[in-house]
Amino acid sequence: MAESAGPRGARWLWPLLALPGVVWLALLFVAPLYVVVAILFGGVDPILRQPVPVWNPADWDFTQFRYVWDHVVGPQPFFRAALVRTVVYVGLASALCLLVAYPVAYFTARFSGRWKGPLLFALIAPFWISYMMRMLAWVNLLQADGLLNRALSAGGFFDVHTAWLNGRPSTVVLGLVYGYVPYMILPLFAGLDRIPVATLEAARDLGASRWQTFRRVTWPLSRPAVVVSLLVTSLPMLGDYFTNDLLSGSPNTSMIGNLINNSVLTPGQTGQAGAFVMLILLVSVVPMLLYVRSTRTGVDVQS
Amino acid sequence: MAGEPARRAPFTGRSAVGRRSLLRAGLAGLAAPGVATLLQACGGGSSSSGNPSGAETIPAPDNPVRWPLTNDVIKSGLKPERGSTLRVYNYADYLSPRFLKDFEEKYGVDIRLSTFNDADEALTKIASEQLAFDVYFPSYDSLGRLIQADLLRPLNQDYITNRGNLWPRLRDPWYDRGSRYTVPYTVYSTGIGWRTDMIDTDVAGLTNPYDVLWNTQYANNTAVLDDWHTCMAMVLLRNGIYDINTTDPTHIAMVREQLLDMRRTMSPSVTIDMYTELPGKKYGLCQMWSGDAINLPYYLPEKTPVEVLRFWFPENGRGEVDNDLCVCLAQGKNPVAAHFFLNDLLDNQVAETNFAYTGYQPPLLKFTPDSLVADGYVPENLATAVVREKDFDVGFPLLQLPAAADVAWHQVWQEFKAGG
Repeated sequence: MAESAGPRGARWLWPLLALPGVVWLALLFVAPLYVVVAILFGGVDPILRQPVPVWNPADWDFTQFRYVWDHVVGPQPFFRAALVRTVVYVGLASALCLLVAYPVAYFTARFSGRWKGPLLFALIAPFWISYMMRMLAWVNLLQADGLLNRALSAGGFFDVHTAWLNGRPSTVVLGLVYGYVPYMILPLFAGLDRIPVATLEAARDLGASRWQTFRRVTWPLSRPAVVVSLLVTSLPMLGDYFTNDLLSGSPNTSMIGNLINNSVLTPGQTGQAGAFVMLILLVSVVPMLLYVRSTRTGVDVQS
Repeated sequence: MAGEPARRAPFTGRSAVGRRSLLRAGLAGLAAPGVATLLQACGGGSSSSGNPSGAETIPAPDNPVRWPLTNDVIKSGLKPERGSTLRVYNYADYLSPRFLKDFEEKYGVDIRLSTFNDADEALTKIASEQLAFDVYFPSYDSLGRLIQADLLRPLNQDYITNRGNLWPRLRDPWYDRGSRYTVPYTVYSTGIGWRTDMIDTDVAGLTNPYDVLWNTQYANNTAVLDDWHTCMAMVLLRNGIYDINTTDPTHIAMVREQLLDMRRTMSPSVTIDMYTELPGKKYGLCQMWSGDAINLPYYLPEKTPVEVLRFWFPENGRGEVDNDLCVCLAQGKNPVAAHFFLNDLLDNQVAETNFAYTGYQPPLLKFTPDSLVADGYVPENLATAVVREKDFDVGFPLLQLPAAADVAWHQVWQEFKAGG
């Protein structure tokens, strides 16, 4: 009996351990997602134009989704620009984040020595200040007579009046980079710090140069961390709206998050916000699949 | 006249099916034919009866409305329950913190202030009825919907003893005959604000000052109000169309064209934060509410002279003029304290405290254009931001729109803001 108790216990143990995660997913992901879908395909209160969710799929009305879809791909595609803009901004910002974060994380993991603790502390420090406060700080720095223009004017030598905050895509992209780069550094650091030093030493002992060691050992081993860090930053960027609101405010830099925010706050258009959420979800599935693939590759390599 | 700009609640009651058919019609295109289809699909025009039940009731200066009593009136002679929490729902920076503190001390209640950005957002949250707000500051264009949805509590006039302080025209206003649900809070106009150290043009001296918002010399240096009705009405006024609540599809199509042109050529900010962003030099020229203009000096950096600020509103008064209201919500748990709150807003001293903080002018007899300037509340160069009672004789209020027109207007605004 004692011999068979072990395997039977293990059979129940793993599902039990997974239970909290399953409950969490059901309560905080599946259920809310269904609410979004029920609103998207639901009705509108006749007086106040508030959304009326329809729970039964048999009664769903696809008008709101079709409205959004037709204005993405139809003859009057006025939503399309914001969607394309979002992909471009998020792509650029993620790439820039990686350019900034990887060397920082690499240095911290490999060369910081006894400064690793303080450096990690410094990397986490931005999390203590709210994202909005950090963006508001940039508003002051970037305004017409802000610090940046004053610095560029070199003490009045040049006449600089660049309007950084008036609908510039570059300002929005750099705002995204600034806001989200800490979220990328930490997972990258965790991934790079886990690479065994012995592996790197072995590469050097076998005659590889520093660059070859990085290219053939460090980079491949850190790839899963890169994918995770890109996901951790790009997914929230996809729904971001207040970076644009604060640093631009112009419709010419609207992203899909702005479309969602506008729709949610406009009675009668809440269902359209659900349609945009669904579009984001569909777009996010691609990187998620990439991530799953990369982690499976990692498991395969380990085994 | 009256109205309420920029803080606007769009809508009109209609069935969900009707709304969907409107959207379908809208898919045909938002150009004039599309708008025409849309409007014809649901009909336009306003009703004139003072009673709901089915048809839309849209108050207007030439169509005053006496609303039915949809909820019970509280008894007279009650006192606010000490220790209770009064929940107030309002725009940010639209009540003096000092007044709130004084009210708390005077009546022994706690005030919890929640804020919203625009009337659309506010209605969304109020309609949930989960937040139990006691006091709300709507515009009169959403009044009908609030009453139809049974969201308002009729006022017991015994508590509103300060009503005599009001301008006579607002003691029995057209949007709420008998003042059954509302007390007026502020009056304001909508015009153009600018800084002379950033804008060379004398905007007020232009033949058509609205044109300056399309002057590419100032591209990337402008802003318009993030309020669909106020902003779109400005386009109508620019073109000499004074029916700023139009249901005419060709007018709406024209507004669409000019707004998209403005977005393309000027890249304006779309915001309601002009009162901080103009002093902060984020831009030098913007559409603006008069109350925000009066508030501008308080947000200027110390070394910047107040004289750089300007505000234009048509000298003949033919522009947007409105007033905001205060109401008791039926969902609130403290109706007695809410009545005292509304009454205190009409107190001369309280109104002065609020005006000094918000810049939005109370429509009380005590405050005249001359006294506001003489008492230093408004600098000479911003005297044009003071609302005169006579402005309501010739100005234009923003009204609730019929359902079909409301959808058409919103679609144009949606396209403008989507940046596509």
